[in-house]
Amino acid sequence: MDENAPNTAGRFALAYVTGALLLASYAAWHYLMGHYARILLPALLGLLMLVAAVLRLAVVNHPRLPAYLALIAGYLLLALELPWLEESATLWVGLAPVLSALLLPLMPALTLNVALAPAWLLLCGAPPFSDLSLAYLASMALVPLALWEQRRQRALMLATDPRDRDCQALSSDGLHAHLDSEFQRTELLHQSLAIVVIHLPQVEMANEQFGSRARQALLDTLCREVRRCSRRHDFLGRQTLSTFWLVLPDTSESGAQLVQQRILQALEPVVLVDTGPLRSRMGLCQRLPGEDWQRFRRRLQDLTQRLETQ
Amino acid sequence: MQSKYKVGLMRLNLLAGALLLALIASRQPQLADALLLWLGVLWLTLTAALLEFSHRRPGMLPWQLLPGLLLTGVLWTAPERFALWLWLWPAVLLMPQPTWTLAVNLCLAGVSWWTLYPLLGPFQAVFAGLALGVLTAIAMARRHQTQQPVVRQRVRLVPGLPLWSAHQLTEDLPRERARCQREGVHGELLLLEVPRHQLWATARMLCHQLYDFESCYRLDSRTLAALLLSRDDDQASQRRAALMDTLPTPRKTRFMSLATTDDLETPLADFQRQPVTPAVGREFEHG
Repeated sequence: MDENAPNTAGRFALAYVTGALLLASYAAWHYLMGHYARILLPALLGLLMLVAAVLRLAVVNHPRLPAYLALIAGYLLLALELPWLEESATLWVGLAPVLSALLLPLMPALTLNVALAPAWLLLCGAPPFSDLSLAYLASMALVPLALWEQRRQRALMLATDPRDRDCQALSSDGLHAHLDSEFQRTELLHQSLAIVVIHLPQVEMANEQFGSRARQALLDTLCREVRRCSRRHDFLGRQTLSTFWLVLPDTSESGAQLVQQRILQALEPVVLVDTGPLRSRMGLCQRLPGEDWQRFRRRLQDLTQRLETQ
Repeated sequence: MQSKYKVGLMRLNLLAGALLLALIASRQPQLADALLLWLGVLWLTLTAALLEFSHRRPGMLPWQLLPGLLLTGVLWTAPERFALWLWLWPAVLLMPQPTWTLAVNLCLAGVSWWTLYPLLGPFQAVFAGLALGVLTAIAMARRHQTQQPVVRQRVRLVPGLPLWSAHQLTEDLPRERARCQREGVHGELLLLEVPRHQLWATARMLCHQLYDFESCYRLDSRTLAALLLSRDDDQASQRRAALMDTLPTPRKTRFMSLATTDDLETPLADFQRQPVTPAVGREFEHG
């Protein structure tokens, strides 16, 4: 969900650093045992893991690259050490499918596991249809289940949660479903319907120049102020990344203008740390008497586009 | 809002796992191992059978604990044959689960490592433990970070249906009540009790009877609620009659005007004590 959150990056970096420490202690172990020829590889791979940790922290937008580095480190060590391990190889070969599942997305992990399974079984010298190879295959089949379940839960959340993931407003899908039903309601009850379109031109720029925290501050401020200026059954939804629709059921044009004015006054004195004074552009779309859903919606889209390109 | 997500492939993966475990179980000489493995087969098959794309069955706790317990059991009874399954632990920890099952699973992982200790010898065991620690750290970093119980209170229970949790009703009720008063609209709360096995079918039917702007709520395993809005009393009584005609018969219903409904607890307790009304009977309280 939050692949780019700083918290997640820190956790991954920590995990990679512990991996680097493990590899370093393995190199030290070889030194103590006098296997001087086998020291170099874990030492180098430990460095690679450190690079992965640094990359994970420094380059926030590409979480895959450090994961690949960690996977390469794990696989290389495993492949080159397995022939030395003799009997214990039956334990350590089980690392291979787990590593890929932990570091790669579901489908690449599945493919890689299936493709490399014969190689790993050959490396640890397991005869086909022995208990060992069956246990290996079973672990290969069971490990991805955790990723399947994660994926199912995430998709389910997206399909059932009407709220936006970044701020206290409805998501685009949630907004459209809600607006659709609200339109029917006002039609059935012979009420008017007004929508205030609010565009924040600074959102994209804030994300590029100041990072996600500045963008979050903008969104939070808008949602808070709009909530303060509206009634309980008015609802705010995020139509595009930087444009919001505030739906006002049973509201006349003058009432909607009043709300718009109130929001403008509330936003005017706001000065944020990174982006400075909060700028906003607003428009009002009132449902005309007898207007049907399609036309109303088209007018609404047009207004949104006009505000965004202004 | 319908998602294109299909559970079919995941079900296939579950069944493939079950098949492999069954194959292994049939080759076990010892009864205990075989039994544990067959239990694992059963767990995977049942999970595959019950799997669906909705919040109808939010993960039952004993159900989620079972894989960890089975894995510990297998590693305990036959460490020499299944040592490589020690590495399944990071996957168990990666599964979406509440914090306390996560803690239990972490302890079980420690126990499993300890049972392997004599087999591996001190040095190898230490390295295996450290490697397990590193993998666990990666699994924790990758764990899906959502507070499931909180989130579940505010989502549709089935994708695409306006069916919400009881918690959502406690939030919607005062808002709708105030709104009905302001707009001069006739609002009603319908309480409906049906036999347990009919609940989801009835909920689906009820949702299709509602306007898009009305919502249905699942209060408990037998009780549903719905907020109905009409222009006036006449329209409301027509809707009541239409609903009573279509809903399945062994049932208990009560309609209450929103204007007189302050909270949910008292009418709900009354409703649960109310005897089953005959199919044609209907009850409407006028305050």
